[in-house]
Amino acid sequence: MNFDAVPFPVLYSFILWAIVIGSATSIVLVISLMATIVSVGVRGPLVFANELGAMVGDLISLSPRRIFALAQLTFREAIRRKALMVFVVFAILFMFAGWFMSSSNLAPEFQVKIYVSFVLRAISWLILPVVLLLACWGIPEDIRLRSMHTVVTKPARRLELVIGRMVGYSFVGLIVLAVMSVVGWGWINRQLPVAAQSQLVCRQPIEGGLTFLDREGNPSEKGINVGDIRMFHSFIEGATKARAIWTFNGVGDQSLDREGNLLLENRFQAFRSHKGDMRRSIYFQYTFVNPETNVRVPYPLKTIDEGRGRTDRINRTLVNVGESADGKKYDIVNDLVTKSGQLTVEVACVDPGQYLGMARPDLFVRTADLPFAYGYFKAVACIGMMMLLVIFMGVSVSTFVKGPVATFLVFSVVMVSYTARDFMGKIVGDPFVLAKAREWSGQLDMQKLEGGGVLESIYRILWHMNPTTDLPVGASTTIMKWIDAGLVNFLWLVYRVIPNLDYFGQSMQYVANGFDVRFDACVLPCILTTLAYFGPCVLLGYFALRVRELEAK
Amino acid sequence: MSTTGQPREAVIEIRNLTKIYRDFWGRKKVRAVNALSLDVYKGEVFGLLGPNGSGKTTTLKMLLGLLFPTEGEIKILGQSASDVRKNERIGYLPEESYLYRFLTGEETLDFYGRLFNMSGADRKQRTDELLKLVKVEHARKRQLKEYSKGMTRRIGLAQALINHPDLILLDEPTSGLDPLGSRDMKDLILDLKAQGKTIVMCSHLLADVQDVCDRIAILYGGELKVLGRVDELLKTQNQTQVLSSQLTPAAQAEVEAVLKKHGAQYQVDHPTANLEELFLRTVQESKDRPGRRLIADDPANKV
Amino acid sequence: MNNLTSQQRKFVYLGAILLLLIPIIWLGMPADGTPDSGGTISRLRQQLDLGESDLGDLDPSGAAMNLALLGLRGVAANILWMQADEQKNYKDWAELRVTTESIIRLQPHYVKVWEYNGWNLAFNVSAEWDAVPDRYFWVKEGGKFLQRGVERNRRSPDLKWHVGRVYGPKIGLSDEARFFRRYFYQDPDPQYAKGPDPEFNNAGEDNYLAAKRWFQVANDAEKEQRQSIMDRSIFRSYPARSQLDYAAALYKYGFREEYDREVGDRKLTDEEAKALEIRVREKLKEQTRQAWALGLEDWTIRYGQELFAVEYLPGIIVQMRLEMGEDEIRSLGKSPDGIAQLRRAVDQYQKMNNYRYWRTRALCESEPETAEAHWALFAAGEEYRKQSPAARTFAEQSMALFEKTLEKYPELRDEDNFVEEALTSVLVWSLYMRLEGEKPPEMYPLKSLWEEKQERVPEIERRFERDSRAAY
Repeated sequence: MNFDAVPFPVLYSFILWAIVIGSATSIVLVISLMATIVSVGVRGPLVFANELGAMVGDLISLSPRRIFALAQLTFREAIRRKALMVFVVFAILFMFAGWFMSSSNLAPEFQVKIYVSFVLRAISWLILPVVLLLACWGIPEDIRLRSMHTVVTKPARRLELVIGRMVGYSFVGLIVLAVMSVVGWGWINRQLPVAAQSQLVCRQPIEGGLTFLDREGNPSEKGINVGDIRMFHSFIEGATKARAIWTFNGVGDQSLDREGNLLLENRFQAFRSHKGDMRRSIYFQYTFVNPETNVRVPYPLKTIDEGRGRTDRINRTLVNVGESADGKKYDIVNDLVTKSGQLTVEVACVDPGQYLGMARPDLFVRTADLPFAYGYFKAVACIGMMMLLVIFMGVSVSTFVKGPVATFLVFSVVMVSYTARDFMGKIVGDPFVLAKAREWSGQLDMQKLEGGGVLESIYRILWHMNPTTDLPVGASTTIMKWIDAGLVNFLWLVYRVIPNLDYFGQSMQYVANGFDVRFDACVLPCILTTLAYFGPCVLLGYFALRVRELEAK
Repeated sequence: MSTTGQPREAVIEIRNLTKIYRDFWGRKKVRAVNALSLDVYKGEVFGLLGPNGSGKTTTLKMLLGLLFPTEGEIKILGQSASDVRKNERIGYLPEESYLYRFLTGEETLDFYGRLFNMSGADRKQRTDELLKLVKVEHARKRQLKEYSKGMTRRIGLAQALINHPDLILLDEPTSGLDPLGSRDMKDLILDLKAQGKTIVMCSHLLADVQDVCDRIAILYGGELKVLGRVDELLKTQNQTQVLSSQLTPAAQAEVEAVLKKHGAQYQVDHPTANLEELFLRTVQESKDRPGRRLIADDPANKV
Repeated sequence: MNNLTSQQRKFVYLGAILLLLIPIIWLGMPADGTPDSGGTISRLRQQLDLGESDLGDLDPSGAAMNLALLGLRGVAANILWMQADEQKNYKDWAELRVTTESIIRLQPHYVKVWEYNGWNLAFNVSAEWDAVPDRYFWVKEGGKFLQRGVERNRRSPDLKWHVGRVYGPKIGLSDEARFFRRYFYQDPDPQYAKGPDPEFNNAGEDNYLAAKRWFQVANDAEKEQRQSIMDRSIFRSYPARSQLDYAAALYKYGFREEYDREVGDRKLTDEEAKALEIRVREKLKEQTRQAWALGLEDWTIRYGQELFAVEYLPGIIVQMRLEMGEDEIRSLGKSPDGIAQLRRAVDQYQKMNNYRYWRTRALCESEPETAEAHWALFAAGEEYRKQSPAARTFAEQSMALFEKTLEKYPELRDEDNFVEEALTSVLVWSLYMRLEGEKPPEMYPLKSLWEEKQERVPEIERRFERDSRAAY
């Protein structure tokens, strides 16, 4: 994997979610209370309380039958308004895709990557605009044509209307997605060159934790940086005491293959400081360590296969012929794995003057593979989650602005999420964004952006002060800092309201790279993100529909 | 017609209703309805009349909760206009075809039936019933976009009746119908009235209103100008109408002589006094003397 | 149409769409490189050598993509470029390859786009891989990519020159040259069954000869359209240079390549091996000499006699050839000033192109004696490695021959290459003597050169040691 997949912090995220929802709701409530007081006068609070009570009443008197009726209406509308024309585009795309892809001579694993990511990308790029347009135009059109008059003059709650719309579009989207994904899956299986078919798997890795020893043998958090732009991988120097040490948890008999081999797969990189022996790639060596018994069993030297990775089938019975060569036989599971199921593997680079590069996901125990379809459809499910998210946002936004504006708004939110969210995260100091930035830059001590808020920055620019110079003490500085703090807090809220779409994209990467989509690090966050937006989107939509007059003016 | 003088149950109570449309900046643009107060009683057919822009549709939409009053209060079936629960007992036929044009006739009724939480069997039965009633049975499987204007009105009426409403609001019920269809619609309204339903209708077609309405209100410029029983409004107080058929010229001369004897001013003519006249007169006088209430509430109101 | 139901109408539309697709496929399908493949348009284009004359082949699929983007081509291309850059940062080479493909679909007639991406694949991406076969794969990708660029931009001399650069210097002068040159006719990819990749080396020729062909094609195109890479006089020297490089490479790598090719999968006895070694050496001796002779001709006649109009000083344009005799300078220069100017210009351009060095080297190498000397030295090295007494004989033979050459071409005393070879022959000889515990005699060939250039000996010794260690 090309990125560090970590389990999703469920509790932390939930608390954050509650805070964001709480503060956003309070802001909306306070503003509407004030608006009511301004427009109705002293009776304002009473009217406001009544309205609130009615809203709560609506919330608890939802009728599944009405929601279903509205969902079905939405579904029929989408189908009869030719939303399924997207299939034609899809079909044409796939008919002609072969023209672009068949000529490549790349190695099989890359073919897999290209085909799989093409299919998944095509699906998401086709389906997202379609649901975006559907979701953003449905309600405004309904209002414009006044068809909605016939619905809201029935006992249908406006809340049900919002939910019904969301459910209806979700159905349309899910059906389209299901058909596309099955076709895409068939296409991959049919079009992929025969040589690459065997690479179409879904790896089940046991990933470990990674620490380093530097060239003197002292523990360190990272290895050497050899000047990569993205410093995700760090390097250990050959023929020194530098080591990369992985510890895998939960290794046992069940982690071995049928013949009793431990499959260790790596994606090591090489960096040569001199040409060395060009006939072979550089050597590395695994050493199995049991920290409890201090047994160290080295494994024979192997060359890396940069760019592809290599899998070693390591027989569970190892003969110790290494440094402390006692010639005894050791069983991996019984002698080398600790009682708590931990396996420690040290990796050394053997060639002097050469460097071996790695990141945490680059060495893993490969347990029995699952069929490709398993991971593929998980990734499709994640695309589906993103689709639902877009639908929720679209329907919600379309209750208070017209179709084109709603489309543009949701599209912008998605674009901002992709392009500027990380930057905002650095300003407000989101630990996860900072961790990502650290992974990129290799700067382990990276903190949130310096230079203060907007006003402070302007001040510093105008007066040519660098960020380390202290500002003059005084009332104006205090006021400035207060305003800045307010703005940053507002930015924090905006930042938190914009959805984090990283996980949805990652799901494709897992499958394209031949891995199973991790539940705790990808599928779960996708589901939770979508769920987290469902409630607020429904409420926002409901609120907006309820407080607006439905006469299109 | 029910008797006058005894208290009647008000289905709709409008008090001091005002609606001001504002522009984007919150500046007042139009005062669409101004201090309107009126009641509609159970079991009557009430007509809201007025030229374009007089505020009658606005009033109707405020009744339905589609628009929010700027000031004043509405009680409809004893509940606030913004309370969605009132809709359980209301049927609404919108002005034009606002129905979903991609649904078939059958699907349309089924859909609205479900919004009333009706069970499948009920919906089926009611759909069949209504399609027969409004005579679009033959087109039940066709999408509404293929319907003629008249058929659309009928299916619109059918959906308004799906829940056996107590109060039916009809916006221009006969517009777009041919004379025969118009006749049917009026018969239907009278049938509904006979079933004890309350009906409020807006219309331009005064002849139709005259045919079916018990009471009318004429709005002009957002203000109530005329309110009263149709028959009484059309009765001119200091005039007496003598209707006769097959009166010979000799007999006519005799009658004229009698009238002359009593010093009465008279005019011998064919009878033409109708709602249209009243309407036009009201509009004209409102233009000449704005702000003046022309005809007092009808006596029944002063209980 | 009115009496059709809407369902029937939809079927009619669907049928019409399918009907329209048939001609699109029939006409528009791109060729896959082999003759008579692809749709009608592709075939016709091949047969009639059509294609827009200014641009080269039009790519129907790319054109379709441009249409589908509704004029957002620029935006899409920008996004793709950014994506390509990010993929490079992520070392995501497979995806980068696909992105590159999409970019050139959008910008098929930008020479610079082809140039940049082809160079990126052949040089940058290639260098990111550790295994030499992988590196070679990406060099090939770059080369093939550039050749497709040539098809789309037939009149551009630049792209053709870049193809030549991949075939020539990239394969022949890299650190991995020894491997790359072999891979060029024995691809490491098992699908080619130890033959060359037909898409890259269809004729199974030497990389420098392929380069020479491409540089020649570039020169032909350059007569029609200006190139924008370098000074014209250098640009036009490349076909001849490739021939000289070919000859040099033949000496440097030829023996092992030829020997292994002859051996193939066979197992040879010692005698057979010896016999084969001699046979190969003899064959190469002649082949190398001929290659140098042809190189000399290319260099001094084809290239040397070409007329260049150069702006010698701002505003002063002189007509000159690199191979310009004194008589010609006099007759063309007319005035004494003009003569001096022309002489200086010729001198300057000769220096710039290293013209005289290559002329002398080619001249001397095409002599049978020099070839003899080379191969004797080569044999000496080989024998020294085996520590066989023949090393001394071969070394002495080559020393004598080099001495003779030096007498004939005294200017070679200052030519690096020659000096290195001559000194190596003495080195091998003295090393072998040391091995036997003998002292060198008072007099021996090349003694003066050996003593004069003592400071270079350690470096040459290092190089010799390294070369003899590196088994092929």
